[in-house]
Amino acid sequence: MTEAALAQSVGSGRLAGISVTVWRAAGIVFASFVTLYVLIPIGVTIAMSFNDGSFIRFPITSWSLRWYEGFFASTRWTQALANSLVIALGTTVISTVSGILAAWTFDRYNLPLKNVIYVLIMLPLFTPGVVLGLGIAIAFGGIEIGGWSFFGSRGSVVIAHSLWAMPLVFMLMEATFRTVDRRIIEASYDLGGRPVRTFFEIVLPMVSTGVISSALFAFVISLNEFVMALFLTSRGTQTLPVLMWLSLRSAGTPELAVTAVVLATAVFACMSLVMVWYVRQLRKLGR
Amino acid sequence: MALALELDQVSRSYGAVVAVDSVSLDVEGGEFVTLLGPSGSGKTTTLRLIGGFERPNGGAISIAGRRVDHLPPYKRNTATIFQSGALFPHKTVAENIAYGLRMHAMNPSLIRERVGEALGIVQMGGFEERYPSQLSGGQKQRVALARSLALRPSLLLFDEPLSALDLSLRLQLRADIKRLHDELQFTAIYVTHDQSEAMAMSSRVAIMNCGRIEQVAPPQQIYNEPANEFVYSFIGESCCLPVRIDDGAARDQQGRPVDIRLAEPPSSGAWRLYLRPSRIRIGNEAHGCANTARGRVRFTEFLGDFNRYHLVAGGLEFFCDRAGERQYQIGEEVEAGWDTGDMKVFAA
Amino acid sequence: MSGAQQVTSAGHRDAMLARPAMKFERLVPWALVAPALVIALVFFGLPILNTLRMSFNLHVDQRVYVPGFTLDQYWMLVKNPIFSGSILTTVKLSLICAFSAVTIGYGFALLVWIGPPLWRVGFIGLALCPLLISEISIIFGWWMFFPKTGLLSHTLLSAGLIEDRFSLMYTEFAALVGLTYLTLPFSFFIILSILDGIDKRLLEASSDLGAGPLTTFREVMLPLTWPGMLVAFAHAFIWAMGTYATPSALGPDTLWTIGFLVQEQMLGRHNWPMASALAIVLVVGVASIMLLMRRLMARGGRFHD
Repeated sequence: MTEAALAQSVGSGRLAGISVTVWRAAGIVFASFVTLYVLIPIGVTIAMSFNDGSFIRFPITSWSLRWYEGFFASTRWTQALANSLVIALGTTVISTVSGILAAWTFDRYNLPLKNVIYVLIMLPLFTPGVVLGLGIAIAFGGIEIGGWSFFGSRGSVVIAHSLWAMPLVFMLMEATFRTVDRRIIEASYDLGGRPVRTFFEIVLPMVSTGVISSALFAFVISLNEFVMALFLTSRGTQTLPVLMWLSLRSAGTPELAVTAVVLATAVFACMSLVMVWYVRQLRKLGR
Repeated sequence: MALALELDQVSRSYGAVVAVDSVSLDVEGGEFVTLLGPSGSGKTTTLRLIGGFERPNGGAISIAGRRVDHLPPYKRNTATIFQSGALFPHKTVAENIAYGLRMHAMNPSLIRERVGEALGIVQMGGFEERYPSQLSGGQKQRVALARSLALRPSLLLFDEPLSALDLSLRLQLRADIKRLHDELQFTAIYVTHDQSEAMAMSSRVAIMNCGRIEQVAPPQQIYNEPANEFVYSFIGESCCLPVRIDDGAARDQQGRPVDIRLAEPPSSGAWRLYLRPSRIRIGNEAHGCANTARGRVRFTEFLGDFNRYHLVAGGLEFFCDRAGERQYQIGEEVEAGWDTGDMKVFAA
Repeated sequence: MSGAQQVTSAGHRDAMLARPAMKFERLVPWALVAPALVIALVFFGLPILNTLRMSFNLHVDQRVYVPGFTLDQYWMLVKNPIFSGSILTTVKLSLICAFSAVTIGYGFALLVWIGPPLWRVGFIGLALCPLLISEISIIFGWWMFFPKTGLLSHTLLSAGLIEDRFSLMYTEFAALVGLTYLTLPFSFFIILSILDGIDKRLLEASSDLGAGPLTTFREVMLPLTWPGMLVAFAHAFIWAMGTYATPSALGPDTLWTIGFLVQEQMLGRHNWPMASALAIVLVVGVASIMLLMRRLMARGGRFHD
């Protein structure tokens, strides 16, 4: 097994015979332990979502889809799901656009105070969600524009989530832009492509994999985040994770397991779409 | 008629480093001018200044009589062929060639016509739908050439386009570019560090060193009448003999007399004598030469078409090439001779 | 030549307009970076400064806050055992969590690194799972695993390993298991990326020189990977400090972390100045960890040169 490779390459000395077996066994045990560790909460949740009973209790004696039916019949849950998706899409658009533009600027232009701006853009990513949620709630809680209040709106959550998603997009895209051959951009300018057209017609298609991946990251972060959302949403704009948290605090039912599965499904569906796109892209350019 | 390209005292520096130092160059329409020099001599920077990828710190650049120094590349009527080809990886060959034409808002049917024509010129017909990743290095360069030619620019700029290719391909493409130039009569500025490339293709060669142009002349003139020591030593192979002359007698740098007889010795002082190894005769052939030197064979190299004899005379070392079988052994004393016209003397 | 002609005329016009164009050119990068900068300044910089100011306001008569200037909140953080205790608890919990995340992450990364390529894809996919699943779903998963009626107790009972059902729910252990789960992927990927940069032939070279696996690990692997371990540790620590849901949902009722108290003071007690002061403590803590890490890395860099 895996550790055996280490043992073979390393332990060619006197104890090699014993070490190979011992290391191999240790490797298998450790790998199984980690695998089990990662899979336990996932497996438990999936199993519980098909439970027919009304309480969370093992062993599960009878199975059914009734909690799934309940989930999609309840406007409270479907409304939360809709909120989650809208907020995640908003976050994706805002953070992808602003992050890509900033990363492009850092790659192509000289700015005064470049280092300061870099730190300023990256800092929110390392700030705990409670702090960001609290800060925005206090600073902008009272703002109302013509009857529309910022606090409790989906927009406020989009902005808050962008504080994590935008630096991430920026970081990923900065690394991606660095891999682009400058000569190709120069070739476009040289052939008469103005900067804006060059950006959209040459640069963006070349880094499309980076763009799609960072958009996916932004989407997933927003979909899963709940601390900031907890601070910033009101009853009508609660996201799925927020509603789950509140339900968990009152009473846990198999319905929560269904919610967790739905949330994860949304994430993995997006990932699969991206994978399909990526494979098609490879097939088109590679071969 | 206005000059195709006019560089007037153009300079470019990066902080304290001067990459291009007041370079002036006039190029007529239809000329093929090569910028040749060692790496770091400023030849690529000069080309990038012409293309608009860099802005000059001083001087003026005019293309077809129009000042362009402050125009970005997309407003200059030049087209560059880059070292790597720099094809757009996500566009097919046809789309690559059409790109520049589309940027100039040409109508689609004309674009299609031009694309086909350009591919025909570089003998790449039938490759329209391929992606760059499906092409070989030589094919990529052909497409890059077609992409630039399709625009019919007033100036074609070549940035070491062949240096990434292997030898046989390089020779073939070199001949192709030369043929295309003869047929189409475009104006080209070609940057290379390969002298044979420069010699073979150019109507004129500009030798660059340390950001300056040392000499601009047709290839034959560069080879036969180098303007200065740098050009002589840079172009072709040469041996350098650093000598001191005292009353017509040659000594090496340590002051020991050496057995060199010069027909027209320079005045007393320190000099460097430059010789082309292919023009030095050796052994019996050296009899009757105006200039001679006696030396011992230190070692020999077999280089295919000829043997190279490395000789030592006192503190001086030089070598000469001779076709045919190896005739002289290591340690043997031989005489070498050359005509006065084949020697260049520069003050040390 | 129509295309070329067009370029010429357009170019001529632009040459005459060169000066204003240059000025405009200098604004372009600012315009491009503006959206990101505005988000960072307005929705991050401003709220943080505002929070700092809020932490000095007064909290009297059960009102949310009263403008003023006092150090009461910070004094309370030191004096009141609930707050000082929560700071200690948070640091302790985060340290243990970071330690176990780096230990498990390192071992797993090592396994993936030397293992066959086929395993690699599977293991990386596995490590991605905790990143892609919401913290709240993970909490809920463990919430069904640890209690008396949960899967753990049921499995052990069916296997005959225990006599009676038992609960690990609402213990510090459960909180730690949940926290480590969240931080494990970060340390795994950070360390794996470091390992991928190491030439595997180093192992062979070391064994050729007669070193056993443990010696090789100590003499070759550890010096090469410790900067990565440090980064992984700092990341896990920062992440653990900031989370409040996992420890409060899985841990005992007495397990109060700073994050939990921020939320409690803000949403439960409507004491904004206190919540702000706690948030500032959190920010200062995270910032000092990052600075400390940079210092250590800089020293390491010198050593490697």
